[in-house]
Amino acid sequence: MEHLILRDLDIPNLQDISVYEQHGGYDALRKAVKEMTPDQVTDVVKASGLRGRGGAGFPAGVKWSFLPKGVFPRYLVANADESEPGTFKDRQIMERNPHQFVEGIAIASYAIQCHNAFIYIRGEFPYAAQCLEKALADAEQRGYVGKNVLGSDYSLTITVHRGAGAYICGEETALLESLEGKLGQPRVKPPFPASVGLYNKPTVINNVETLCNVPVIIERGAEWYAKIGTPKSTGPKVFCLSGHVNRPGNYEAPFGSISFRDLIYDFGGGIRGGKKLKAILPAGASGPMLSPLANPAVMDVKLDFEALAPFGSLLGSASVIVLDEDTCVVWAAKKMVRFFEHESCGKCTPCREGTYWMSRVLERIDAGIGTLGDVDLVAGVATQMQGRTLCPLGDFSTSPVLGSVKIFREEYERHIKERGCWARK
Amino acid sequence: MLEFLLTSHPLDCPICDKGGECPLQNLTMAYGPGKSRFPVESKFHNEKRVPLGDLIMLDRERCIQCSRCVRLQDEIADDHVLGFQARGRGLEIVSLSDPPFDSKFSGNTIDICPVGALTSRDFRLSARVWEVRDYPSVCAHCSVGCNILIGERDHDIKRIVPRENESVNEIFLCDKGRFVHHFATAPERLTTPLIRRGWKLEVGSWNEALNLVASKFAETRTQHGASALGGLGGDRASNEDLYLFQKLFRQVIGSNNLEHRVGWSATNVGADLVRLYGAGVGTNLGALDKNVTVLVLGADPEEEQPVIRLRLTKSVRWYGANLIVANGRVTKLAKHAKQSLVYKYGAEAYFLLGVIRAIVDEGLENRDFIAARVANFEEFAKSLEPNTVERCAELCHVKPEKIRDAARQIAQSPNLLILSGREAMFAQQNDPAVASGIAALLLITGHVGRANNGLIALYPHNNSMGALDFGLLSEGGLSVREMASGKVRALYAMACDPAAAGEFTKPAFLVVQDLFLTETAKLADVVLPAQSFAEREGTFTNTERRVQLFRAALKPIGESKPDWWIIAEIAKRLGAEWKYGRSSEIMEEIAATAPRYAGMTYAALAENVKMPRPAYGQGNPSDQPTEIAMGELENVSSGKAWRSVAESEPNAKFELVWNEPGQQSPEDSRQYLAVARSLYDRGTLMSQTQIVRPRVPKPWVEINSQDAEQLGIENGARVRVSFDSRVIELTARVDGHVPPDAVLIPSNLDGTAALPLGARVKVEKV
Ligand SMILES: Cc1cc2nc3c(=O)[nH]c(=O)nc-3n(C[C@H](O)[C@H](O)[C@H](O)COP(=O)(O)O)c2cc1C
Ligand code: SF4
Ligand code: SF4
Ligand code: SF4
Repeated sequence: MEHLILRDLDIPNLQDISVYEQHGGYDALRKAVKEMTPDQVTDVVKASGLRGRGGAGFPAGVKWSFLPKGVFPRYLVANADESEPGTFKDRQIMERNPHQFVEGIAIASYAIQCHNAFIYIRGEFPYAAQCLEKALADAEQRGYVGKNVLGSDYSLTITVHRGAGAYICGEETALLESLEGKLGQPRVKPPFPASVGLYNKPTVINNVETLCNVPVIIERGAEWYAKIGTPKSTGPKVFCLSGHVNRPGNYEAPFGSISFRDLIYDFGGGIRGGKKLKAILPAGASGPMLSPLANPAVMDVKLDFEALAPFGSLLGSASVIVLDEDTCVVWAAKKMVRFFEHESCGKCTPCREGTYWMSRVLERIDAGIGTLGDVDLVAGVATQMQGRTLCPLGDFSTSPVLGSVKIFREEYERHIKERGCWARK
Repeated sequence: MLEFLLTSHPLDCPICDKGGECPLQNLTMAYGPGKSRFPVESKFHNEKRVPLGDLIMLDRERCIQCSRCVRLQDEIADDHVLGFQARGRGLEIVSLSDPPFDSKFSGNTIDICPVGALTSRDFRLSARVWEVRDYPSVCAHCSVGCNILIGERDHDIKRIVPRENESVNEIFLCDKGRFVHHFATAPERLTTPLIRRGWKLEVGSWNEALNLVASKFAETRTQHGASALGGLGGDRASNEDLYLFQKLFRQVIGSNNLEHRVGWSATNVGADLVRLYGAGVGTNLGALDKNVTVLVLGADPEEEQPVIRLRLTKSVRWYGANLIVANGRVTKLAKHAKQSLVYKYGAEAYFLLGVIRAIVDEGLENRDFIAARVANFEEFAKSLEPNTVERCAELCHVKPEKIRDAARQIAQSPNLLILSGREAMFAQQNDPAVASGIAALLLITGHVGRANNGLIALYPHNNSMGALDFGLLSEGGLSVREMASGKVRALYAMACDPAAAGEFTKPAFLVVQDLFLTETAKLADVVLPAQSFAEREGTFTNTERRVQLFRAALKPIGESKPDWWIIAEIAKRLGAEWKYGRSSEIMEEIAATAPRYAGMTYAALAENVKMPRPAYGQGNPSDQPTEIAMGELENVSSGKAWRSVAESEPNAKFELVWNEPGQQSPEDSRQYLAVARSLYDRGTLMSQTQIVRPRVPKPWVEINSQDAEQLGIENGARVRVSFDSRVIELTARVDGHVPPDAVLIPSNLDGTAALPLGARVKVEKV
């Protein structure tokens, strides 16, 4: 099947604006600006069923239509902070198919009548930022962005802003704070960014991949698009596959068309060294881990936003990390909790102190100096944190612990009884 | 949540200043389990002594990142000087300003920090809070009259904390009120009477000193008449002192030579306006909403009445009060105003006239009120004739649209408060049209006699209002200048220092009653040691006319006595039959005889004054103690404000007064000298508190950027300012606070005392 998002895989040199144009690039923008009203664009996107690819899966068109009527200026912010462990789809898009992203921003901006859009890009992506800046310069030169887009009276400035290296700045309100030049800490919601966002003005925040779907939808129509995927999760999805597989990478497939088995054994060419699969992290570090050892059915469920709910996990941004049989889950959980400890912004107590506390306990268990009570303690701390934090990061940080304790409790106990890690002995 | 907080919180309680009044400690005691699940070795460590400015010490380990301090600074004080840096458990408070923690309200963060992370660098590690006894008192610095608790241990003031009063200071204090208290126990305090023998002042007994004073007063009266005696009473003394002081002169001696306007109080005028149109009882400056327009005229509350600035800001930001700031320069408060107007100094009357004219032109006057209570509106309106809004605008340098806009805001608002400050009072002194303009503005719009309507005069000192109430004014008597230049033969100076405030000629006999050996005291024949507010009880009347009771916290220093006692002893020796045993008896007499103070006995004023434990010291009453707990605040208000004529006599008719504004002085190529005050000064009271000294600014002069460019002066340059026969050297500030042709100098810094406001000065680069 042809790629709709990772089109760079089908077309060489797609980052070149003339190549992009030759393959129908910016036609969707032309169509939107010349033939459609902003509300029509929003309605088409709504009808397409496009859901956010940043993790939460909120319908994009609905988000756009939440902006309070008549309040200007409005802003669009593209969330390119991609910092979830195991996520690298946005980076590939920005480096190799940047114009589709720019076109998506331009159409979305037109739809919400915003004249200043921002790309908040992860600071560790200097090359991607350069690619975007080049793409923007080219697009401006050809009149796709800037003053009077395609000769219309609609103008748009797109600014690339590089982050300073904080996972929390991917959270939309922390991102806004950071963009405003403040310390990146989430805001209390409500009010939601749609009503009080950047500089207290109505703001739409969308993920890179989400926006890349927009030109496709405008060009081929909502009906055509909605047929891809499942009724509730429409369109194609980029899966980031990493970990102990033979061929890690980004794989695009319609929602509901592939299972973990397809992804790992087909696309990924199986587990490295022919080893056995132990666990899957479906949403990077942020979702509870799954394992065929606990429930073999998980391997064959067709993946969409809701598919993993029965298994107690979620798809998030589909950053699938695969762990083989030699991996120590205690070590893995410790690594992930340390990540969250390091990335917690510190604004709310359960997350700031809880991640710190869980890290210390997991370090203890991993080093072989824990006690049997520590397993319940760390799970207890995680449970105490759940639902009591200001932003989802705090909840995310409990997933590695609760997910692994649930499935691999005896492995924790083995660490404690054997005073150390079996895998590293 | 508690357990989470405690994981990283150090086990410092035994050495923590907050211990004993710490919300975290209290909650842990109430709900926490006896044992921690978090091992001590794993605790997070961070810096324990981070000076966050001159006054506050931060312990980063104790901080629980609640952001109260940041929010207090941002949302209440509106000084954006604190912030967080880094993240996670390492999230830490930093100061964002230079100098660090540059706010006049920094001390409040100590109170609201729920742990011992922010501590006072003054109180720090000097006492446990449960050893400190709290005595309810009233701040003795500015005229806001913030309610305080004096924390005493071992006859020393350990600290001062706010005492809640929703009508005055809520739960806040400025840093001056909180930290500047060491003067009360300073070693320089006078401890015995001093009597001049030959060239020297020598220690004498009370009896000897009082006898000498009385006999000299009697002798002067017999030889030169009663008007050869004069009294200068400072507006820091209590109502009881001031009342007896004037009674001594008026009834016992028979002289009308009474004044209080020495030094900073020189412009205390406008008492008649306040008496007639003073803001209605129940006005709450911290809770004015969008239905109230506040015109702040010629004032700089940030430096002169800090907590009023804080509360006005709060009213604007939280409740939407409609603030208009008008002055000859830009003050900090102007930043919060819906409308900030800069008029030409000296043309204040034209500004007011312009607003009045605009109201009349647009027919916005309050006809019903005028019909009922104003006698001569038609006539008054006629006298406005030649002064069109355009003409006034041209003369006062404010655009006509702005004047009209302000006029609408003022006339159409359901409520109007006018707060006039020192600079407006200076203008009133020079030009009667300013006072009549303020009165007219209130009357034609009918904004008097109700809460949130009328005039508040922002006076400088804790009891300026009391001094005005008890008539320490030269009505029919000699002025301050006359008394200070030797026009009296015997002068009694209480709680003031005329020799430091300008030229002074010692009269034949000089008595000084003070805490310190002031410049005037050094010249005196007899020096009488008085008690500070911390050693005695009494009442002060704040700038909103609220009479407030304060209690004694310390034992008297040396042989010092309360002022009222000294005055009474002199009166007795002059034959008066005074029998005041304690200050409450004086207040009872005031309450019975002075109509405005009717009913204001100590018993009445003590209502809601929280007394933690039976009080200590001289002359304390036996009111029932009540519990006081920091952090657990209820809405309380105490004190009583007296009612203006407009309020107490609802049928009284008022007359509009027409004064032609003073003619503009001829153009002068020199600069107009505007005089400001700095909250932190070089005064005796300040200099005793070491830690606030770095806060006292170096003397400076503010110059307009255009003028500065013409004169080749850059921000920070040294300049020479000359006027009359004086030349002073100062550092120039060029940061947009004064209009062209004016310069601004604070008059209470090194070498800037006694500046003549309104003088013409020459500025040159050094
Ligand atoms: C801790 C945290 C980190 C996040 N990081 C990202 C990120 O790196 N990229 C992203 O697109 N969304 C991220 N999100 C999700 C955003 O908050 C937001 O939901 C998303 O940008 C919305 O775009 P979408 O509707 O197009 O998905 C993160 C959320 C949280 C709570
Ligand atoms: S949950 Fe964590 S990251 Fe999110 S606001 Fe709270 S402390 Fe910050
Ligand atoms: S108020 Fe105290 S505990 Fe709260 S953030 Fe400030 S220093 Fe930390
Ligand atoms: S504002 Fe005035 S009364 Fe209040 S604490 Fe400060 S100096 Fe004292």
